[in-house]
Amino acid sequence: MEFSGLDLNTVIQTLTKILPILVGVLVGSLVLQFALYQFLSKVVKTKHALPYTLLAPAAIAIVAFLIYPLGYNVLLAFSDLKRSTFPCYSPVAIGECELTHLYGLDYGFENFRDVFFRVRDGEILGWGRLLRTADSTFPILLQRTALWTGLNVIFHFTIGLGLALLMNQKIRFKAIYRSLIVLPWAIPSVITALTWKQEFHAQYGFVNVMISSFGGQPISWLDDPVLAFVAVVFVNVWLGVPFYMVMLLGGLQSIPADFYEAAHIDGANARQSFWAITLPMLRPIIIPAVTLDVIWTFNKLDIIFIISGGGPQEKTNILVSALFNAAFGPSATQQLGFAAAFSIVIFFILFIFAVVWITSSGGLKEVYDR
Amino acid sequence: MNIRNSSNQIRLGLGVVLAIVGLIFTLVNQMNWFWFMGGAWVGLLIWQPTHWVLVSYSIISVYPILRVVSISLRPTSNLLSRSLAIIPPDATFQSYVSLFLEEKFLLWIWNSFSITMVVSSVGVIVASTGAYAFSRWRFPGRRPALIFLLTTQMIPAGMLIIPIFVIVAQLQLTNNIIGLMLAYIATAIPFSIWILKGYYDTIPPDLEEAAMVDGCNRLESFWRIILPLSTPALSIVFLFNFLGSWSEFIVAKVILQANSTQTWPLGFNEMIGTFNTDWGKYAAGSVIVTIPVLLLFLWQSRYLISGLTLGSVKG
Repeated sequence: MEFSGLDLNTVIQTLTKILPILVGVLVGSLVLQFALYQFLSKVVKTKHALPYTLLAPAAIAIVAFLIYPLGYNVLLAFSDLKRSTFPCYSPVAIGECELTHLYGLDYGFENFRDVFFRVRDGEILGWGRLLRTADSTFPILLQRTALWTGLNVIFHFTIGLGLALLMNQKIRFKAIYRSLIVLPWAIPSVITALTWKQEFHAQYGFVNVMISSFGGQPISWLDDPVLAFVAVVFVNVWLGVPFYMVMLLGGLQSIPADFYEAAHIDGANARQSFWAITLPMLRPIIIPAVTLDVIWTFNKLDIIFIISGGGPQEKTNILVSALFNAAFGPSATQQLGFAAAFSIVIFFILFIFAVVWITSSGGLKEVYDR
Repeated sequence: MNIRNSSNQIRLGLGVVLAIVGLIFTLVNQMNWFWFMGGAWVGLLIWQPTHWVLVSYSIISVYPILRVVSISLRPTSNLLSRSLAIIPPDATFQSYVSLFLEEKFLLWIWNSFSITMVVSSVGVIVASTGAYAFSRWRFPGRRPALIFLLTTQMIPAGMLIIPIFVIVAQLQLTNNIIGLMLAYIATAIPFSIWILKGYYDTIPPDLEEAAMVDGCNRLESFWRIILPLSTPALSIVFLFNFLGSWSEFIVAKVILQANSTQTWPLGFNEMIGTFNTDWGKYAAGSVIVTIPVLLLFLWQSRYLISGLTLGSVKG
């Protein structure tokens, strides 16, 4: 008996797959913790036996599911893994394998070189193409990523702060406004992206229906590189404002009213007390929020991937979407080794930026200093 | 004060007049409500600028969502109408019915649900004790480990998807929901630890010390005092992991390719390929999938936000 693709058999099959996992994790981690504690306290005799024991399940999971794949990614960066050589890298070698060795420094050298340069016969011809067109070179993508991140963070912050300041007054319907404005955050982002993609459709999307109902010409948003970029930035701004509004509103409400009264008595006007009281008091909220937002936006893949797919003519790709397209895209040859090298380059760009930003601004310091 | 009051009344008067003018235009122009709404909107701008901004932004955030509801209610014959009405005049639940009958909607939901439950549970089980260790003890390796957890937030998705794709293929787990679970757990655990540690930090250690004076050992006090006190945080972490993997699209697209093991984001993506009858089914599915998430979010939003801020800002 099947309904809507689901029948009893499938349910039982899934349950027999996942219940052992759940029970295994629970029992396994208890047994492991007990054994490890006995070992650490009786044999090694360390005074930190208990914290290490408590950490063990998480540590094992992180090593297995995070550190091992990341390490393997580094190894892949030194490989020639692509669709045609995939069988060589799977344990059951299907058919003939043309590679003499699977991993090697020469592959790694080529992969990292290809991220930046296009080389033929030992001669550098120019910037390397990460995808097919000449618009997908490293400096162009880096610029576009910076533009994407900058525009998003600036709009998120200014709109979010503006709304938070308005909502911080004594006004009616505050709770209603708050729930309505927070809604985009609560919607699953796949649905947001898929829906907006439809709404930017040249004929039936409401953006163009509205434009033409005011007498304008319909615009084919997703066929023009600049407009497509405007569209994806718009959607991501729409999506990110609630986070800032909520965080900043929380911060504003925690500023004591006495400060403003004292400033008022001293003759400060609204603008002066905004610069002298509000912004400095919000700093502990603003800095982590902006830091997180920069990181999230830099790595934000789904909006661009779903709405524009990086097109038209690969002109709305940012670094991470170009990476995804290079590895799994329909057009590329799925050069996974090259993409692994590319991903390491991207990570280091963000990492260096984050280290410089966090050490200079002191943001996120509280997280590990306590 | 008197001047302000009177100018307030003038602005209110102007606003009402504008709304009435809009209403008259609506009546004249075959009940085209655009005119009334436009008039009322400009009227509100003159009368109450603050409310004007907030109302306008609320419309911007809600309208696209209402559009989905509206499309889900359209009859198939009228799906591509260019009307902007929220409730179509000939509303039906046809799309909802055909979503269940023509697509494998329940199977997608079941797949997503079972993946999500496993990921969220494993995340909570594993993170609850680990975060406690980070919160209460200073041990060698603590600082580097915490910085590492923070750094994982910077990993671009591709950097994990590529190796996980290859590993999953080597383990022959492609098209298997277990392969997808492995990928999700990798990202769920660091975040869970981060949030839970922030919460444990706010519980005063005196509580456990008191319990230990009364004869509990360290573990008993964790089990009897800290865990019960942390139920809100544990449920937040569960929810976060739930929301994160419930609607994940990119990794699922790479790992699951067969039709029989799709999650709902993948199924939805196929439905919107073209503008045809599937658009209504997509909208209906979106409404069904979103409502529970939305209710959870609104109900828990206070805790969700405090959970987020606890992780990043001193509580």
